[in-house]
Parts: sequence; structure tokens; C-alpha cells
Amino acid sequence: MQDETLSDSGAAVQGALPPPLVALVGPPNSGKTTLFNQLTGLRQKVANYPGVTVEKKVGKVALPDGRELELVDLPGVHGFSARTLDEKVTRDVLEGRVEGFRAPDALVLIVDSTCLESQLMLVEPVLELDLPTLLVLNMSDELEERGGRVDNGPLEERLGVKVVRTSARTGSGVDEVREFLAADVAVTQPAIDAQPRTLTNIPRGVALPMVDAFTARRARVREVVEQACFRPPGPSDVSERMDHIFLHRVWGPLVFLAVVVLVFESIFTWAVPLMDSVELVVGASGGWLTSTLPDTWFRSLLVDGVWAGVGSVVIFLPQILILFFFLGVLEDSGYMARAAVIADRMMYRVGLQGRAFLPLLSGYACAVPAILAARTVEDERDRLATIFVTPFMTCSARLPVYALLIAAFIPAEPFFGPIGKRATALLGLYGLGIVAAIGTAFLLKRTILKAEPTAFLMELPPYRIPSLRSLGLRLVDRSGIFLKRVGKVIFTVSIVLWTLTQFPRTELGPPLIEDSALASMGHVIEPVIAPLGFDWRVGVGLVTSLAAREVIVGTLGTIYGIEAAGDESFALQDALAEAMTPAAAIGLLIFFAFALQCMSTVAVMRRETAGWKWPALQFVYMLLLAYAGAFVAVRIF
Amino acid sequence: METPVQLQTVPSTASHGAVVELRLGQVPLRQMVELVSIDLPAHQAEPLLERGILPGCRICPVRSSPAGDPVISIDGSLLALRKETAACLCVRLLGQLQDAG
Repeated sequence: MQDETLSDSGAAVQGALPPPLVALVGPPNSGKTTLFNQLTGLRQKVANYPGVTVEKKVGKVALPDGRELELVDLPGVHGFSARTLDEKVTRDVLEGRVEGFRAPDALVLIVDSTCLESQLMLVEPVLELDLPTLLVLNMSDELEERGGRVDNGPLEERLGVKVVRTSARTGSGVDEVREFLAADVAVTQPAIDAQPRTLTNIPRGVALPMVDAFTARRARVREVVEQACFRPPGPSDVSERMDHIFLHRVWGPLVFLAVVVLVFESIFTWAVPLMDSVELVVGASGGWLTSTLPDTWFRSLLVDGVWAGVGSVVIFLPQILILFFFLGVLEDSGYMARAAVIADRMMYRVGLQGRAFLPLLSGYACAVPAILAARTVEDERDRLATIFVTPFMTCSARLPVYALLIAAFIPAEPFFGPIGKRATALLGLYGLGIVAAIGTAFLLKRTILKAEPTAFLMELPPYRIPSLRSLGLRLVDRSGIFLKRVGKVIFTVSIVLWTLTQFPRTELGPPLIEDSALASMGHVIEPVIAPLGFDWRVGVGLVTSLAAREVIVGTLGTIYGIEAAGDESFALQDALAEAMTPAAAIGLLIFFAFALQCMSTVAVMRRETAGWKWPALQFVYMLLLAYAGAFVAVRIF
Repeated sequence: METPVQLQTVPSTASHGAVVELRLGQVPLRQMVELVSIDLPAHQAEPLLERGILPGCRICPVRSSPAGDPVISIDGSLLALRKETAACLCVRLLGQLQDAG
């Protein structure tokens, strides 16, 4: 019967309309993104942490009959009051109010069946939309393992929607979701009889949050759940025991600290052999190019410009991947939520809330997704304060700069027990970022962003063993993004820089680098940076790294590479160690710890604050702090 | 009829005679309680309501964080609160939870 309806409406609209759009709705952490990946095969971040899915993700689902559907993965929400940006985005998409994005034709509501009752609070507002809807009871394997149960039949009857049990992680039940999409979605009329609308306050327009409305809704949900013979699962013994350690008064903070130290130590010890091998490959291939190509300007451009520039950044890939690997393990295992609880008290003191911990921690990878992740921070002033301080977190783009300068100027000697001097310096720089963030947040919340404290609520999901597949996919994704960035930005900058080093031409060909156009440009800003102990080369690097921080490594690689042209054993570290004083190097490190040298961050700040005010303020503030920091450092060290 | 926008009032359904002024923060670990009312302004209470922390629901504090903030068990899931929030949740005692560990 449904097939007939399908082919009828399908024939009428074939080719005229885009494929039907299905929206995936659900609370945070219900396995939405995992199901999305199962259905679309598109890669995306999946984590065992509330509020990771912030960006709108759209994918294509291939149906068994060959048709295609579009599936949009909406941010996880607990309700539709639009109090947070996530809720607003979700509500707007569902109501079809997002520009350039049509309203969905069908809905898949996914809930974590281990806490069915509270998760089903979403079901009423979702049903009010009167669209073909599928209710997915996810994590049903876990429910049963822990002694819980639920019957689909009464749920279907009471709610008037199809119900499917899945385990998105293992993929069981996903085919049934596909079958629903194939059978019900192209139907133009709503396939279900809408239940009498008892509540209209949530998805439409402004709604006053009222305790009675919620209580009444909860009572109806409880009735439905009782009819479905829902038995909540017993507590997860393993999680209980692990929380006993990870949230212990003494062990908790110690484990927290140990985790942080482990991450930082490992990216500087485990990464070294990997980085050495990448460096070897880059060096060998550059040498091979030099020996194969004829000695023309093109060889110089390719080897001294592009290869030196891009190569000097690519070698940091292993380090960045190790960092992302650790962040991934922490998120997917469920530990990150505990870490947020431990960190909350401190965050609360400086005027932020614990929910800001995820954005700030993501900031260690990259400020751009971190600023987007701050949408889950429920209070607008808290969110502004959070995204204002996020760029102080040591993002992975700083790592190449830190790694280069630390390796050039700080000896690889033990410092304190098993922790080396280099790791200590790195930890110090990370600490500096934290201190600046705390101070800034403190300042903001006492001046322009004064606000009352808001409630902090953090779901603590059961601990789970991270799936290697999900971690692996993410690493592939990340390295792709990193390399693309290297490809685009650094490649372009390298070529521009190389060109600037080739003019003005002399009778013998290219000028000495000190006489080049690039040097003249560097000399223009030299007076400004001379008090910091930086010469024109660093000055050029500071300008080019406005595009992205790591570009300075490529820039210095190009400049020194050209200076050392012909020298087979050229190493940027050695060249720097000769050219700069250690004090200036420390000044440069501190400059990079503070300065907002990242156009992507400025752009995303403009988008997330709807104006230039915040990004402009942030850029100037961080630049002044950077200058002052470097100025002081040069005089102390 | 008397649905207030403010949430300070005790909902009629949940009140049983005299209101016991017990707050969640004072409840010992593993003591199951029922939420009576939320003593918070509406905008602060809303996230609680959305997550099912509603008058009539059963809450059991199961742990406290290193800083002394409660972790509660509600409807099969664990939720971490601040002690400031817990101090605004008026509750009444129910039976002792069976040994969950």
C-alpha cells in the first residue's frame, strides 16, 4: 500500500524536486551522529560527550530501491525553547526557517533507551510538527545487558509512530531505519494520525517556560512509558567503579592531572620518531628533486620555495594527530564529561561554567570548531566570555611554532624526574595560555559581561571503550583537513614569498636575500618589532602568519632555505639557533601564545557574534597582550 | 489556573500537608528523594525541567565530586549538578535506595 502511494507521488515529482529531506533529531549523546554515519557513510565527529554535534551536517542516504534521500544531523537538544544556539538552530531547521534550507519532509527521533523517560520529553513537540516520524530507541543492547526492557508495540500504538530498536554502534536495527525511510518518506501527506495536540507551547514561537507544562508533559510521557512496560536498566557496575576513582576526592584531580601530563609528554616523545621519518622523506625527496631537475628558476621555486615551506609544516602532522587521538579517546570513553565536572569549580570561580570546558579543551586542537562548540553554553554572556578566551588555548597550529623554537633553543635534557626540559617549556606555554584565559574571563565577567551565575548540568554517560574505527576515521579526517590547509594557505604563501625573494633582479639573477623585496618589506615593520628582539625575517613571518599561525614556520623555512640554498644539510632549527638570541626566541614563543594570528578564528568570531565588534576587540586585545608579553620576556631572559 | 511563571510555589499535586524544607544538598548519599519544588527563577530552572528534573521525580544523590558537587541518579542516568543548584531543589525523603554498588 505504501509502495503504491510512493510510486504515485514519486512519478508525479520525479526530476522536478530535490530528494526528500529527513531530519535526525534527538537529545545530545543519544547516538545521533553514530546513526547518521551508519546511514550516510559520511564521516563526522562522534563522541561520548554532550554537545559535540554543533555544525549542521547533511548527508545522502542510498535506499535499497536505488533512490536517494537527504539526511540532516541536527544538534542534540533537550528541548525547543531556543535558549541555546543549538536549540535555536534545531528549531529553525525543523520549522523550515533556515535560509537556503527547506523544511524537512520527515523526522527520525532518536533517543537513548537506557534513560527512556527523560529522553521521551522530546516526543510531544516533535509529533506536533505532524510529519512522518520514526522513533529510534538506540542503545537497546545496553538497555538489555543492564537488565532493562521496553516493548515497541504499545509505544507505536500510543504515539502513532513507527518504533525501531537499534544499536547504532554495532549497526543492528539500522536496516529497519532504512526501510522506514524507503517506505514512508516520499509520502506527501503525513503518514500518521496526529495525536490530539495537548501542548503547543514548545516549537512554535516564543514560549514561557512553565513548570506545570513540563510536569504535565512528563506525566503523559510516564504513562506511555509504563504502558510500554519500560523497565529502566540497573546501574552500570563498571561505570560506578570507575567513577569511584575518577571522581574521587583525591584520585580524581590526580588522574585529571596525570592525563594532561601524559598527553603533553607523549606528543613530545612518541611523536619524535614519526616526525623524524617524515622529515627524512621531505628532505630526501627535496634532494631528489634538486638532483633530477635542471638548475632553473623553476627548480628554485619548487625546492627552495614550496618544498621548504610546505615540508617544514608537514613534519608536524604526527604530533597533531597524536593530540587529536588523545582528545578522541577522552571524549569517546566518557572521561571528558568527568573532567568537565572536576574542572567546573575552577571555571565557576573565574566566571565561566563547566560547559565551557569542552569548547576550551577543543581549543587545544583548533579554535574554530571550539568556538562553534561553545553554542552549547546556555547563557549568552557566558558564551561570549567563552569564545573570547578560547583562542588563548594552545591550538595545534601553535604546535609547529612551539616545536620548532623549543627544539632550536631548549636542550633535550631531563628537568624534573622523567619530564624533560622541552616538555616543561611546552607545558609552560600551555599554562601561559590558561592563565591568560582565566585572567581575561575574570576581567570580562566583572566588566562588560557581568551576569548572574547559571545552573551547570552535565550528563555523565556510562564509560565506553572507544571504537578504533571511529577514532581512525577522525584521524583520517583531521589529517586531511590539516594537509588541505597546508596545501592551500602555506603553498600559496610559499610561492608569494619565494617570488618576493627573487626581485629586484641583479645581473647575476636573483638578489641576495638581504636585498630582496621581501627584506625591504620586512625592514618596514622592523622598528616596531625591534624592541622584542625580532629581525626582519621574523617580521615577515609575523605578517604571513596572520593567515594562520603555522605559516611562520613555512615562511622561515622559505627564507632561511633560500639563504642556505645549496647547503645539503640545511636544518631550520640550526639556522634559527644561529640567527636569534634565546631571549628573543622566548619572546617569540610568548608572542605566539597570546596573539590572535588566525584569520579563520576572526572570521568565525564574526559569524558567531554577528558583527565585527567582538572579533576586533579580541584581535587588538590579544595583540597588545602578545606585544607586552614578548617585550617583558626579552628583558627577563 | 494558578500556573505561575515563577517556580517558587509548591505545585499542588506534590504537596502533602506541611512542606518540609529539605534541600537536595542536605540529603545523604544513596537516600532516594522526591523533588517537591524548584526554588529558582524560570530561566535558571528551564534546563533542569528539560532534563526531567521536575516536581514529583525521584532523585538519588550517588556521589559527590572532588569539589563537593553532587552527582545524582535520575531516571537511569547520571547528572552532575553544582551544590548551589542542589541547594535550590526542595525535596522530601523516600525509602532508602537498595544497594546499587
